[in-house]
Amino acid sequence: MRGSGFSVVGSRLLALAAVLLCGSAAVAQGIVGLPAASTGKGHVTFAAEVVEVAAGKPVVVELRFRVEEGFHVNSHTPKDELLIPTVLKLEDAAGVKVVGVEYPKGSAFKLPGNGEMLDVYQGEFRVRLQVVVPKGQSSLKGGLRYQACDSAACFPPRTLAVNVPVNGK
Amino acid sequence: MSFHPVGHPIRSASEEEGINLKCGGPNSVGAGEDVGVARRVAVAAVMVVAVCLLFWAGWHNLRSRRVAMQQAQQAQITVQKDNAPDAMPDMAITKNLVGKAAPGFTLVDLSGKKVSLADFKGKPVVVNFWATYCGPCQEEMPWFEEFTKKYAAQNLVVLGLDLEDGVTKDVVQKAVRKTGATYPILFADDKVGASYGVGDYLPVTVYVGKDGSVTEQTPGAPSKDEMEAHIRKIAGGV
Repeated sequence: MRGSGFSVVGSRLLALAAVLLCGSAAVAQGIVGLPAASTGKGHVTFAAEVVEVAAGKPVVVELRFRVEEGFHVNSHTPKDELLIPTVLKLEDAAGVKVVGVEYPKGSAFKLPGNGEMLDVYQGEFRVRLQVVVPKGQSSLKGGLRYQACDSAACFPPRTLAVNVPVNGK
Repeated sequence: MSFHPVGHPIRSASEEEGINLKCGGPNSVGAGEDVGVARRVAVAAVMVVAVCLLFWAGWHNLRSRRVAMQQAQQAQITVQKDNAPDAMPDMAITKNLVGKAAPGFTLVDLSGKKVSLADFKGKPVVVNFWATYCGPCQEEMPWFEEFTKKYAAQNLVVLGLDLEDGVTKDVVQKAVRKTGATYPILFADDKVGASYGVGDYLPVTVYVGKDGSVTEQTPGAPSKDEMEAHIRKIAGGV
């Protein structure tokens, strides 16, 4: 399913992602650019690097997120309607047009108690965007809404800020 | 493992003696034979050294592998410890209420009726904080339902306090129907959550004895047996 309908033109965004429990791990690993809001109990992080793509035509930009080890977030299509799906919402920035958003498939996660199967993202997951960007500097801004759990408990839904500088050539 | 240099078959000591005897006594040994004996001795010495080196290399390799295995096992233990469900109890409950009186509250249930903790004075009460988005919370709710029936003679009361922002009554009702819970479900607010030291980590369950004091606070969904053990502490045996 990944990549279907999308013609990969230009470069990919390889955004570095790291995950924290107490906020110090990212500093220890020398990761820069992590927003302060994500260094708390977020369990999902994202840090963007400038991406250079061809201007004026559809290109694919891949965003990498990482879920902290021992945790999971619901996939974009959780099996239970009560569970909160992972959704990337992007703002309409001047000149940048988001043509499509493609989410990865989730993996099966079994709750230890009753054995209920969930559809989740664990570790790194990538969201692919098809965008048309103007010439020059612009940015993709928005937020990733997700809800994290471990095998025994859950945290409230959160929104992680996403800001990707884009250079259209 | 054996080592056989090409063109120099290993001979036993008796074979070497046999060659010397066949060649005659000391007086009959010529210069060429001396060179031959010296050569054999040198080859034997090289072979002994080679075998010793092989044994040493094998022993060293085995020792290195044992050390690496020990380090790997230590790393695995660390990872498992970090990933344990109870790895963040400090974040889950911010107040230790054990031995203290359970904080009182009056909240509204799904039918709009006011329900107070004080309504259940003298009864064992389980106060369970949960949320509709929380899979582990919904996993344990059928167990609470089962235990309200099993410990009905002990007047066990379970109160489910939904603690989440912006949830609608319809969504809560859907979740309750899914779990089959028939015990009172109340809409909690942050104030009640804070009074019980409940943070963002759900579920949290508080066990309140007949005297109104807290006997246990548990973050996360326990096993069914653990849950019943806590209930037996406040309700007594069946």
